[in-house]
Amino acid sequence: MPAFATAKAIFTSLLLLLSLNSLAAEHFSIDNPTITKIGNGYTLDANIRYPLTPRVIEALENGVPITFLQHFQLSQPFPIIGKHWPWGWQKTLWSTVIAHELRYHALSEQYILLTLGNNKQRSFPSLETALTALGKIHAFNLPPEYDIEPNVMTFEIRTELDIHALPTPMRPGALVSDKWQIASPWVSANWP
Amino acid sequence: MNTIKRISKSPLPYYILGGLLLILTILLSTATQDSSRLNELFLPIFGLAILTLILLVGLLFRSFLRLRRDFKTQKPGSKLTVRLVGVFVLLILISTSIVYSFSVHFLHRGINSWFDVEIERALNDSLELSRTAFGDRKRTLLRQTRMMSGVLSEVPVSEFNTNLRDLTDLSGAIELSVWTMDGQLVTSSIQNPNIIVPDLPNEAIFRQLKQEEDYIGLDPGDNDRLQLRAAVRIPKTGMGEDEKMLHVLFPVNEQLSKLGKTVQDAYTDYKELNYLRKPLISIFTLTLSLIVLLTVLASIWFAIWISRRIVQPLQDLADGTQSVASGNYNTQLTTKGGDEIGFLVQSFNQMTQRLTKARDATQVSHRLLEQQTNYLGAVLGSLSSGVITLDKLLYLKTANVASSAILETNLQPHLEMPFSKLEQQHRHLQSFIQMVTTEIRNKINWHQQIELHNGLQLQILMCRGTPLLNGVGWVIVFDDITTLIQAQRDAAWGEVARRLAHEIKNPLTPIRLSAERLQIKYEPLVPEEQTEQLHKLTNTIIQQVDAMKDMVNDFSDYAKSPSLKLESISISTFIHEVIALYQSNTKHKITLIDSPDIALKLDSNRFRQVLHNLIKNAIEASEDASLPVTIQIDYHKINDTPGNWLELTIRDSGPGIPDDMMTKLFEPYATNKIRGTGLGLAIVKKIIDEHQGSVWTENLDPSGTCIIIRLPLEKTIP
Repeated sequence: MPAFATAKAIFTSLLLLLSLNSLAAEHFSIDNPTITKIGNGYTLDANIRYPLTPRVIEALENGVPITFLQHFQLSQPFPIIGKHWPWGWQKTLWSTVIAHELRYHALSEQYILLTLGNNKQRSFPSLETALTALGKIHAFNLPPEYDIEPNVMTFEIRTELDIHALPTPMRPGALVSDKWQIASPWVSANWP
Repeated sequence: MNTIKRISKSPLPYYILGGLLLILTILLSTATQDSSRLNELFLPIFGLAILTLILLVGLLFRSFLRLRRDFKTQKPGSKLTVRLVGVFVLLILISTSIVYSFSVHFLHRGINSWFDVEIERALNDSLELSRTAFGDRKRTLLRQTRMMSGVLSEVPVSEFNTNLRDLTDLSGAIELSVWTMDGQLVTSSIQNPNIIVPDLPNEAIFRQLKQEEDYIGLDPGDNDRLQLRAAVRIPKTGMGEDEKMLHVLFPVNEQLSKLGKTVQDAYTDYKELNYLRKPLISIFTLTLSLIVLLTVLASIWFAIWISRRIVQPLQDLADGTQSVASGNYNTQLTTKGGDEIGFLVQSFNQMTQRLTKARDATQVSHRLLEQQTNYLGAVLGSLSSGVITLDKLLYLKTANVASSAILETNLQPHLEMPFSKLEQQHRHLQSFIQMVTTEIRNKINWHQQIELHNGLQLQILMCRGTPLLNGVGWVIVFDDITTLIQAQRDAAWGEVARRLAHEIKNPLTPIRLSAERLQIKYEPLVPEEQTEQLHKLTNTIIQQVDAMKDMVNDFSDYAKSPSLKLESISISTFIHEVIALYQSNTKHKITLIDSPDIALKLDSNRFRQVLHNLIKNAIEASEDASLPVTIQIDYHKINDTPGNWLELTIRDSGPGIPDDMMTKLFEPYATNKIRGTGLGLAIVKKIIDEHQGSVWTENLDPSGTCIIIRLPLEKTIP
C-alpha cells in the first residue's frame, strides 16, 4: 500500500532528524552524586550544572518561565534465570520527578525559582546564582520504605528541560530544535 | 471480507472520515488557545493531525494512481471521472487558496495589531515608575537597617535576642535575623508566631556582603506578595568575634504591593507575548495551514469519490450499451436514486426489455417463415410439375425436385446463377430457355407448349409463366405432357381402329360370300374362254377381302385391350419356342445369346405377338434392303430404379431406321414399308405398356437396328 510506505518513510526520516538533533544537543551534567548514610537512612548530594543556551536565556529574560525536571530512580537487577546469573534487566523500584520553575521577575529584577511540588519559592539576584541553587541537591532523602542494599541497587539521577511546559506556540519549534532539547544522561550515584 | 468490501464501497467510511476531520480541526484550533485545557494535548493533537495528513496524502496518492491507471487503460468512464475530478480540484484549490491567503493576512495583521510601541513604552515607564517608587522606600529601609545594625553592634551577642524583638516592634519589620557570614543563624525575631525558622538569605547576599556592600532588594515572597529584603554587616566591636550580618524582611504596603504586582504581571505578559509573537504567528499559520491542507486533501479525496459515484451509473450505462451492441439484449442495470441518471438507467432497462421482446418476436416470425418455407418446399417437392422461379435479372432462384427430373438436369448447382447460362452446359434445354426468356420479356401471363429433343426421345412440355408480386421475378410451372399426349393419341387411334373394324368388317363377309357365289353360280354359265377371267376376278375379290379382313383384324387387335392373363414363364424357353417357328427358312439366322434363365410373369399370348411382330419387322427390313437376315436376341437382368428389370434386345443387320421416323416409330401407320398395316410396332408398344414396361429403338453402327424392351420382374408387377 503506497500510503503506508510513504507514511513509514516520512516517519523514519523524522525519527532520524530527531535523533540527530538530540546528538547535537547541549547537555546538562551531574557532578559526583554521592550517597551518605545518616542513621538508618541514606541521603544524596549532588551538583548539577545547567549551562543554558542563549535561546533559553533570551526566553527567560522575556518573561517565559522555564521548567526543569529532576528525575530520581532506584532500581535493582532482575536476573531472569536465577540470583547468581547476572543476565537480566533493571527493575525500577521507585522513581520520582521534581519540577522547578525558573522565571524572571522584572519589577524586582530577581530570578525566582519555584519548586512545583511544594510551592517553595526562592529569589536570586542573578541567573547564575539561581542556576547554582537549582543544581545543588543537598541531603535528598532516599525512600526509607525500601530495604536499600548499597552496591546492589542503583540510584540514578537525570535532569532535563521540560519542553512540554513551554507556552504552546514555542512547543513545536522546541520539539525539533536542539537549542531546547537539553538534558543529562542517567548518572548513577556512588554508594558510601 | 464481503462485509469489509461492502462497507468500503458504501459512503459510510467517507462520512466517518469527514466527521473525524471536523473533530480534529476543532481540537486543533481549541488546543492552540492558551487558556484551553486541551493546550496540554497540543502536541499529540498536532501529531495526530500530521499523521492524518500523511494518511490522506497516501490515500489520495493511491486514488490518483488508480485514476491514472484507469485513464491509461481507457476504462469506460475514466475520462469523465478525470474531467470531473479536475474541475472539482480546481474549484477547491481556487476557493481554498483565496480563503487561506486572506486568513493568513488577517492573522498576521490581527496578531501584529496587539503590539504597539506606545503601549510598550507605557509599560516600561510604569515598571520604571514602580521601581522608582520602591527605590525611595528601599533607601529609607536600608538606612533604617544600617541604624539597627549600629544598635546591635553596641550590644553583646547575648542581648541580641531582646534587642531584636524591640527592633522588630519598632521598625515594623516582618522578620529580623542575625547570621554569621558563613550562613549560621545567630538569632532571630519573627513577627508571625507561626514561623519558627527565619528565611535563609541566599548565597548571593552573603557574597555581596563579603564584598563590603550592603544589600537591599525587592523580593517577591510567597503568594506573590512583595517584601523588601535588606542585609547589612554588623560592625565588629570586639576581637575574636565572628563577623555577623543583620537580615531584615520589611513588608510592603499592601496597596503598593498590589499595584506593583499588576504592573509586573502586565509587563511580563506583554513582554512574553511580544517575544512569542513570531512563534505565535507561526503556530497559528501552521495550524491554519494544517487545517486547510486537511480540508483540501479530504475535499479532493471526496471529489474523487463523488466523481466516481456520479460516473459509476454512466459507466454502467456505457457497459450496458456495449453489451447490447454485442447482441446481449436482455442486459438490465440496477437503478439507483430517482435523479436524472436513475431515469436514464430506467429508460435503458425499458429499451433493453423492448429490444428483447422485439428480438423474440423476430425469432418467432423467422421460425414461422422457416416453417412456411419448409412447408412450401415440401409442397413444391411433392409436386409432379416442375416449378422454378427467376428474379428480375433472370437469375435462377428456386427449382423443385420435379423440375430437375422433367428437364433431366440437376438444377440445384445452377441456383443463384443466370438462367441463360444453363444453355451452355445443357444444349437440349436451349429451346426451353429461349422460349422462357422470350415469353417473360413479352407477356405478363403466358402458357406455351414446347417440344424438347433429348437425344432420341421427344419430350413435350406445357409451360406457364406468372410474374411474382411487386415484380420481383417470375414463377414458371411446367409439366411433362408427353405421356398424356401419347395416351390421347393412342385412344384416338383405338377409336379409329374400333370404328374401322366395326364399319368395314361387317360388309366384308357378304362381299366375300357374294364373290364365292359368283364364282360357283356363274362360272358354268359363262363361255369357257371367259371362265378363267371370272375365276381370276372373283379370286382377286376374295383375296382382297381376306387382306382387308386381316387388316381389320389387326385394327381390331389394336383397338381391343383385353385384360392381361399373367402367367409365370421362363424367358429362355419362351424365346426358344418363338425362334423355332422361324428356323424352317435357312436364310434366316436367328440366335439367342445364352444367359441364365429368368422367370417372370407375362401374358404369353400377347407377348408372343410382340416377339413375332419384332422378328417379322426385322426380317422384312433386311429382306427389303436385300441384306442377309441376321437377328440376335439377348436378355439380361438389370438393376435400375425402381426395382429389377428384364432387358430384352433384338438386333438386326438391316438398314436401320431413318432419323425422321425415330420419334414416331411406335405410332400407328408410322411405316415406310410397302406392305403391312403400319400397326405392328404400335401394337408392340401397346402390349409392352400394358405390361408396365418400356420399349425404344437405337440405330446400330455401322448398320442395323436394336430394339430394347424393359419389363419389370415379378416382384414389381402389381
